[in-house]
Amino acid sequence: MGLLQRMELHPRPLVRAALTTAGVAGLVALGSRGGRWLDPALLGYLLATLFATFGIAYRYWDWVDRPPTWMYFRHTLKTLMSPKGFTAFFKMGKAATDQIVLQRFIEKRSLKRWGAHFLLSWGCLLGFAITIPLVFGWVRFTSAGLDATRYQAWVMGVPAFTFPLDSLIATVTFHALDIAAVMVIAGCALSFIRRHQDEGDTATQRTDLDLMPLLLLIAVSVTGIMLTVSEAYLQGRNFHTIAYLHELTVILLLLSLPFGKLFHIVQRPAQIGVKLYKEQGEAEGRVPCKACGAPFIRANQRRDLEELWNRLDLKGATHAGGRFHHLDLCPRCKRRLVAKSQSKRLGGGFDPFHGMPLPTEPIPDATTWSSK
Amino acid sequence: MPLVNEEYGFFVDPQRCIGCRACVGACAECGTHRGRSMIHLDEIDRLASTQTVPTVCMHCEDPICAQVCPADAIKRSEDGVVHSSQKPRCIGCQNCELSCPFGVPIVFSGLEQMLKCDLCYDRTSEGLRPMCATVCPSQALLYAPKVQIEGMRKNKPLREFTIGELHVKTRNAVMVPDTEVPLHLDASLLIAGGF
Repeated sequence: MGLLQRMELHPRPLVRAALTTAGVAGLVALGSRGGRWLDPALLGYLLATLFATFGIAYRYWDWVDRPPTWMYFRHTLKTLMSPKGFTAFFKMGKAATDQIVLQRFIEKRSLKRWGAHFLLSWGCLLGFAITIPLVFGWVRFTSAGLDATRYQAWVMGVPAFTFPLDSLIATVTFHALDIAAVMVIAGCALSFIRRHQDEGDTATQRTDLDLMPLLLLIAVSVTGIMLTVSEAYLQGRNFHTIAYLHELTVILLLLSLPFGKLFHIVQRPAQIGVKLYKEQGEAEGRVPCKACGAPFIRANQRRDLEELWNRLDLKGATHAGGRFHHLDLCPRCKRRLVAKSQSKRLGGGFDPFHGMPLPTEPIPDATTWSSK
Repeated sequence: MPLVNEEYGFFVDPQRCIGCRACVGACAECGTHRGRSMIHLDEIDRLASTQTVPTVCMHCEDPICAQVCPADAIKRSEDGVVHSSQKPRCIGCQNCELSCPFGVPIVFSGLEQMLKCDLCYDRTSEGLRPMCATVCPSQALLYAPKVQIEGMRKNKPLREFTIGELHVKTRNAVMVPDTEVPLHLDASLLIAGGF
């Protein structure tokens, strides 16, 4: 058995992950002007980010290669490449605003959950959006020439804009990570309270998957805020120790990204592709159940699911000598079928009306009777 | 002591169902469902019979719902319980709802989430029986030690089903007179006179 098989690694996602990481490393080299603008204090973060990139890319491509995931991924790609791609792109943008930006579906699950998740997710994304360009050397700040009262912002080695040190923009720029940290701590606190109060979550939550990421995020945020406190109120006391502690927690968080719950950040946009798929299925129409005749399954999903079942080696699930598939039965008829099959095995013994002839005319329902 | 273990089993016997809907009401009390009932209570053939059938998840050994899930959101824990989709991952595609051989999962499209019977995990993990089995007056839904069922019923628990050539093994059992042959789910039974 080869090393890859022993480690349960798949070659195709490995190659794609290596290419993705090489691409990101190339962008770092380009944006930092061959590494000239890289901040030596942030090199530990850079290495951990590149490792996390490889891990996330491997898991992402491995996930996309799963037959059911590929079913939707392929459909979204095909639609975007088709003549309808432009319209589809705008529809996806609209859905992304509702689902990803505003996270309305979480609000429908519970308001408390939405509040916690909104703070947590936007706090994290704001943190990543600030630190990644700084770590990659894409953004940096220097004094504006000889003017010690102004700062110069550089983007990809190009001078972007200057701002006075005592302005609002300076305060926001220098404390944006503190704002993100407060949002994350508030979100984590709300999550812990909700998890403590919710019997369902208490029963099903796992320490490694559900609680550890929250604790790690709190550790990152608290040590980050401690840096500001040390610098602003304690004359820089213990600044270096706190800086190392902060770096350690961030590196732990980055290394855990591909393996833990936070991986759903890159999985979640798949929801937008599914919206598009459903919309196209509705336009195509629903296929009726072979037993009761009620339309229930979208035509595109019916076709794709049979193909998926075959790819998953779930073959031969047919009825009436192969004339139709088990997928052609609606969920209600599938449930009735279990009882009918049990009844048959019992010789029809449990049905008090077994053997009686069926009425030849439809029986009027209760409302018709009461009105007479 | 948790009641989700090898000793205890869930025994479904539709012939005993009296259609009282106590299970439907009780199921909604479960903490993992938050006010939503995950039990289906269907009339088998409304024109011909008063018989009803309660359906809970059969907790398959190799769940098809999990196999067809694009988000990898459906997990079977080591104790054999197939859980509702994981909230951070589920994208509400309905593959599970349409592929389940027994018609169990429900996808709430506004929530983008699939919920299903999870044996009332908040209760069974704390030593209590599932809500539906606690309130069922006719024991059509019974959660009991496997060794007890032999003496309680004439029928025996069966945990194997066939659909055409497809074989499905489950954790929960349906009560039948003999267990030598899996329960064959043949759709011709749904229509008088067959297809």
